[in-house]
Amino acid sequence: MMMTMEGVAVKLPSYSFPIIRSPARCVTRNFRPFSISASTLKEGHPAAPSAPPASLSLGHLTRPDFPILHQEVNGSRLVYLDNAATSQKPTAVIGALQNYYESYNSNVHRGIHYLSARATEEYELARKKVSNFINASDSREIVFTRNATEAINLVAYTWGLQNIKPDDEILLTVAEHHSAIVPWQLVAQKTGAVLKFVELNGDEIPDVDNLKDMLSRKTKLVVVHHVSNVLGSVLPIKDIVLCAHDVGAKVLVDACQSVPHMVVDVQNLNADFLVASSHKMCGPTGVGFLYGKSDLLSAMPPFLGGGEMISDVFLDHSTYAEPPSRFEAGTPAIGEAIGLGAAIDYLSGLGMQKIHDYEIFLAKYLYDSLSSVPNIHIYGPAPSNHVTRAALCSFNIDNIHPTDLATYLDQQHGVAIRSGHHCAQPLHRHLGVSASARASLHFYNTVEDIDDFIQALNDTVSFFNSFK
Amino acid sequence: MNSTTIPTTLLYFNPSPAASTESSSKRQAHNPRHVQLKLDKRQNGRNFLSKSIKCTQNRGIRNPTALASCLEATEAPPSKAAELVADKLKRLVLEFRSLAEPIDRVKRLLHYAARLPPYNESTRKPESRVPGCSTQVWVEAEMDELGRMRFRADSDSEISKGFCSCLIWMLDGAEAAEVLEVKTRDLEDVNVGVYGKVNSRVNTWHNVLLAMQRKTQALVVEREGKRPLEALPSLLASANEVSG
Ligand SMILES: Cc1ncc(COP(=O)(O)O)c(C=O)c1O
Repeated sequence: MMMTMEGVAVKLPSYSFPIIRSPARCVTRNFRPFSISASTLKEGHPAAPSAPPASLSLGHLTRPDFPILHQEVNGSRLVYLDNAATSQKPTAVIGALQNYYESYNSNVHRGIHYLSARATEEYELARKKVSNFINASDSREIVFTRNATEAINLVAYTWGLQNIKPDDEILLTVAEHHSAIVPWQLVAQKTGAVLKFVELNGDEIPDVDNLKDMLSRKTKLVVVHHVSNVLGSVLPIKDIVLCAHDVGAKVLVDACQSVPHMVVDVQNLNADFLVASSHKMCGPTGVGFLYGKSDLLSAMPPFLGGGEMISDVFLDHSTYAEPPSRFEAGTPAIGEAIGLGAAIDYLSGLGMQKIHDYEIFLAKYLYDSLSSVPNIHIYGPAPSNHVTRAALCSFNIDNIHPTDLATYLDQQHGVAIRSGHHCAQPLHRHLGVSASARASLHFYNTVEDIDDFIQALNDTVSFFNSFK
Repeated sequence: MNSTTIPTTLLYFNPSPAASTESSSKRQAHNPRHVQLKLDKRQNGRNFLSKSIKCTQNRGIRNPTALASCLEATEAPPSKAAELVADKLKRLVLEFRSLAEPIDRVKRLLHYAARLPPYNESTRKPESRVPGCSTQVWVEAEMDELGRMRFRADSDSEISKGFCSCLIWMLDGAEAAEVLEVKTRDLEDVNVGVYGKVNSRVNTWHNVLLAMQRKTQALVVEREGKRPLEALPSLLASANEVSG
């Protein structure tokens, strides 16, 4: 059964919990509703004099760092609740990109001149930052890719095609993102391997007991998400890895929705491969990473051929560079990788544990608030003392298409949520729907964002019902 | 909020005389403010054509094309069919452009969604699914013996139904060549729910129009006795996108 996030002391805080005292920036003010600083923070919320005094939440503290949030959309204050699709970027990241292009843009690992040396140094420093962030034992275990999708494909086309044989089994869950399913369908087609899918249990969580039962000597690889981008559930990766290793299978963790929101420690999880995308963790688009244990990476053939990934090229053959260069053919996304490094500095400065604690509070507040909307169905587990949800909710409201909801929320209320299948069609099929709406938060969201969203959602529902 | 706040509509769906009285009265009841404008010669001409297409009407495809626009009702009607689709496109764009508030554009679409001829649940066939929409949209196309295109569409989303309703109003009964001539960028000004340019995975206008054009192209090829193109749908789509 599922339940806790490894390496994280999970406790469900009460609503008074998210009072974050940041020594550097903390100003003692009422937490909520605001009675102070109305012009910048109140944003349309009436002050309730009875509110207990408290510090500002992490959301209020960090909002000023995200210039994009301070705008109006369709005449309303922008409420950005599509963070699972992509996160916003703090000024520190935007500044790092600008600084790179203004001061030391140059190709890496190629020139001996000053700019190239500096770009190379910063690019490799970014790798080191990623490595430290997820506690890899060596930064050579980090391969920069374009995104998580490319990282998964890299493993599929190199490790997968080399190691997976006819009738071998690849074990996944029905809740995987398409980018963690399709590459393995291609591998299965090419190798004759079989894909097996773990279904959801009664709590709408991938059934980990069932997953363990399905493991066998035939299982060569387990591909699982850490946090589901639809269900908001969290899988006990450490436990899964232990069982998978028992039967000799490797584990690839899709950590797209966990790395941006909580402490992820690859050594503690003991995952063989782990992938994530920069753009979901406050970094630029165009870069992501693959973590792979060094012995695995060293034995893997190259993915793409080109410059950078070779050691010597002869006309008929080449010898390959050591990882990670072996897997980074051509000029990489240098500025973006450096921007990712800046994002990691920013996140680490706030503290991943602090971010996570605040998001657990937001998650519960979001879930409880949404539950009050009539005729709603929220997917995934109900939060409880032993079930922690990520700060996102996918839902449907009877007889209104989620895309219609999302369209009206955007056009009339400036609220940005996602609708559709969220690249998880098998999961939606399993849930018996073709689409859902999803509100997903990050640490720069606030209780007011959630309140505004719920109010807008109720208005949206009555709008569509008036047309019935 | 309530539907009575919908501003006066410029486009009117006037069920063709052949449409069943049952469904037209249902529609009247649903939209009590629906006022039928006097048809100009062009619409009469169009209705005459649609009346002559008995077989398709018998198969349940009605022609919701007869309409009158407040803007253009007094203009001299062009005689060529090719100008009709272009005119309608212009009118559609004008109508939506005249609605400054996004909410009014949404309301207008819902208004047209209610006018989309009913579609049988059982005809929501996988083959008719329009690829690439964030909602489920089904489009069926037929060519009548005069070479005119007849379309039916449905969606599980009311807003998408509104898009379909407008596209069907514009293209149903048109010649294949006219259907194929419409450029997706021409619909950019009818922006509801999507911003900017049309080439997005979530743009229903774009996807439904492309689906209609793809089906039209296939029917043209079939009629000319050629083997249908065996390309991946996505390849066809991108070819259209380039030309569109
Ligand atoms: C769980 C999960 N896996 C994989 C991805 C793919 O990420 P990207 O599109 O950045 O490669 C996403 C992003 O939507 C995701 O949420």
